[in-house]
Amino acid sequence: MDLAVQIRSGLQRQGLPMPTLEWVQGVLPNRNPMPPLQALIATAKARLMVVDITNGTVLDASAPALPPNLSNMEVVETKLGRDVLVQVLDIDNLTKSKWEQVEELEAIARGEQTRGREMIRLPTGGEDDDEVSYSSASTQALSSAPGGARAGANGASATPKNSTHRLVLQDCKGQKVHGLELHRIERIGIGTMNIGEKILLKKGATVARGMVLLEPTNCTILGGKVEAWQKAWIDSRLTRLKEAIENQTRDG
Amino acid sequence: MRILCVAEKPSIAKAVAEHLSGGRSETRNTRNKYIKNYVFDYDFGGQPWGNCQVTMTSVLGHITAVEFPSEYKDWRHPPPERLFDAPVNTVIADDKKDIAKNIETQARYSQGLCIWTDCDREGEHIGHEIREAARKGNAALTVKRARFSNIERAHILQAARNLIMLDDRQVNAVATRIELDLRVGYALTRFLSNNLKGLGGPLANLVISYGSCQFPTLGFVVDRYFRVKNFKPETFWSIKVKHKKDGIDVNFSWARNRLFDRASVIILYERCLAAKTAVVTKVQEKPTKKWKPLPLTTVELQKMSTRFLRMTGQQAMTAAESLYNKGFISYPRTETDRFDKGMNLRALVQKQGQDNRWGAFAQNLMDGGFQQPRDGRHDDKAHPPIHPITYAAPSAALNENEKKIYEFVVRRFLACCSEDAKGVATDIDIQYGEESFHAHGIIVLERNYLDVYVYEKWTGTAELPKFTLGERFEPREAMMTEGKTAAPSYLTEADLIALMDANGIGTDATMAEHIQKIQDRDYVRTVPRSGRQGGEDDDAENSDEAPAGRGGRGGRGSRGGARGRGGRAAPQARGGVMEFIPTRLGVALIEGFDRMNFETSLGKPFLRKEMELKMKAICDGQTTKQVVLHESISQYRRVYNQSQENLHVLKAVRAHFYHDLLLLLYNIRETDFLFKACRQYIFDNAAG
Repeated sequence: MDLAVQIRSGLQRQGLPMPTLEWVQGVLPNRNPMPPLQALIATAKARLMVVDITNGTVLDASAPALPPNLSNMEVVETKLGRDVLVQVLDIDNLTKSKWEQVEELEAIARGEQTRGREMIRLPTGGEDDDEVSYSSASTQALSSAPGGARAGANGASATPKNSTHRLVLQDCKGQKVHGLELHRIERIGIGTMNIGEKILLKKGATVARGMVLLEPTNCTILGGKVEAWQKAWIDSRLTRLKEAIENQTRDG
Repeated sequence: MRILCVAEKPSIAKAVAEHLSGGRSETRNTRNKYIKNYVFDYDFGGQPWGNCQVTMTSVLGHITAVEFPSEYKDWRHPPPERLFDAPVNTVIADDKKDIAKNIETQARYSQGLCIWTDCDREGEHIGHEIREAARKGNAALTVKRARFSNIERAHILQAARNLIMLDDRQVNAVATRIELDLRVGYALTRFLSNNLKGLGGPLANLVISYGSCQFPTLGFVVDRYFRVKNFKPETFWSIKVKHKKDGIDVNFSWARNRLFDRASVIILYERCLAAKTAVVTKVQEKPTKKWKPLPLTTVELQKMSTRFLRMTGQQAMTAAESLYNKGFISYPRTETDRFDKGMNLRALVQKQGQDNRWGAFAQNLMDGGFQQPRDGRHDDKAHPPIHPITYAAPSAALNENEKKIYEFVVRRFLACCSEDAKGVATDIDIQYGEESFHAHGIIVLERNYLDVYVYEKWTGTAELPKFTLGERFEPREAMMTEGKTAAPSYLTEADLIALMDANGIGTDATMAEHIQKIQDRDYVRTVPRSGRQGGEDDDAENSDEAPAGRGGRGGRGSRGGARGRGGRAAPQARGGVMEFIPTRLGVALIEGFDRMNFETSLGKPFLRKEMELKMKAICDGQTTKQVVLHESISQYRRVYNQSQENLHVLKAVRAHFYHDLLLLLYNIRETDFLFKACRQYIFDNAAG
């Protein structure tokens, strides 16, 4: 029990909210002798990053949550009163039209991607087996080309400097709030940021008309992801984009 | 000693004979009315020949063709897939028999053969055909090749004294391409046509010709067509800040440009207004340049011709070819965009001094304005960039297109030898609330190359008022604006050439032919561009930092700025630009293939690109004809088999097309289209 308390305070010293002792105990390895405390704290932190923080068994009831009614659009500006751990539920790149994103996804699905004017073929899993037989220099030259494009397939390729993203964030009580990228934060990007990734919103962060204005100084991107959410988000992204376009067309 | 010289076409034979003989040659007719034999004496200087009696003649392009034996004449039996491994015979084309005979006869009296075909891959293969024809007459001939890229006198004399060997790798690369085109083209043309005929009715005579370059080319047109058709406009919002200072209006644009979410923009806009004053965070005034163009390549010539000279790529190439044959310009098929340092460019500039349109400009270059051209990154090691060789007066016997192309080549060349345009760029950044805004102004100081290169413009945007760093002001106006994305425009010929270039479809010399062919076969039509227009941004400047939105184009340097996706509208529409739109047949073909062969659709550039790369590998000695033939044929055979298995898919698409066609059969345009398609009955084996 004593060890779990030490780990808990270790996490707290890193600015993280306090998990329940039961949860900490659950993540302790079954080993004797126990690894050093610092390693245990690191393990617990890594585990915390990949869980759903709204699960009541994870965080202590004292863990800070967003103030209620934070999303109220009537409020011109308010500041967060304390640090709050949130998890990312959705990312939207507001700089790109949805249709442009649809076209990119469809090109990737077809096994192509354009780089400038060049249509580049991406390697697809099954095909490699069929094509082992070619070994000519030219084929190698070809297959080396998509190297750069593969990063693009994950969307991780060069997110331009003036990109603006909007996130849906959720606190441990399940309250959701939008986060708008007021100043560019490198780790926010489709393909670079995961769903379920944890962000620590710092005390004093501005909330304007119900949107948290994200800046490198007022939030710490902690990393992590919730694997199942991430997969579902990627799998349904194309459908969601298309639906959003349809809805807009209908409304407009 | 007697030497036989053979050029690729009569005009070159004549010009070379003229130079080598010093104008004292004897002209003899042959059985072909276009081909003359020029007889004269010439001293090759001892390597390997000395003083010789020379007969200079020519061919008319290729003299041989490849074909299948007669038992493969029937379209259904043996089945088309047999053509992938059927024997192939190389024969002398019927209309070239007297030409080959002339070479064979002349070779009998000669000890040496000197080949003067154009110095590119195709020319190398024609050289090989000539060598084979000559060896029939005399198997013991010594064979040499002249390397030249224009028919200016000193250049030709130099080439005659520095003979080289025929490059068999290049010959093999072309032979590989010819054989593949034959097999794949015939097999797929027959396969497609047989299956379409199966649908009966008025389409029974329609021939769907397949070419391994045509289809990807068509694929690009169809791809864009669907991008335009499927496009969904979306609303975006932006913030604009206007201010007036020292009597000058200045517009600041938002660093975020635009966002596709109204609520977010409202919030940011509200915070700007709440801030009341803006602060100047950057004031930069620095010299800027608009770079002079790179030396001219074939692809660039074609693109520029379609954009500014109201010609198709093919018309441009025909005119350029003719100018080359007449000795006015250098060889027009080149990938090189850098001049060799040893070339005497000033002498070429001087020849233009007498012209009343650009003579003064050329004279000014001679009087000290001359600057070495920029170096591009491409060098095909065979030909210099396209440049004028001799002066053609306005009265010269040139047709309209030739005159336009000559003028373009000269202006481009003089521009290359001139200086970059110079100006001063002013950048002002302000922060308004938490948002950044930017204003940019240019004042053009020296036009330099722009004076002669009338195809480009660099209009300085309005002058900006003086701001000082840290200055605070209350913007006169801040507006939240709304706009909608617009569909991209259909492909222009310049776009299509750029796409083919980037994807390795065809060589720069054959692209225009492929584009023409998909029109001749009625897979695509061209219509004049109308209304709102996209286009390359001519007024972009090349300041030291890369301007935003002009991402580098990979290895292709600054050739043609890439246009942003989503079809930004450019300021001015240009008259006379044609757009490519696929016909129903074109769409049906590409859709059919895309659906049948998901992995390696023939409507996509990948297979062809791979083939082009393999041709290059053969030339570099990294692979051989046999290996490439084996690999490529198995790839195409696999696609063929797949197509056969998925025939129902093709038929479904096609039946749809067929149905549409029946409905429209009495519509004049469609009847005309059907008629034209029927004329394509004879398969052209140059299909590529």
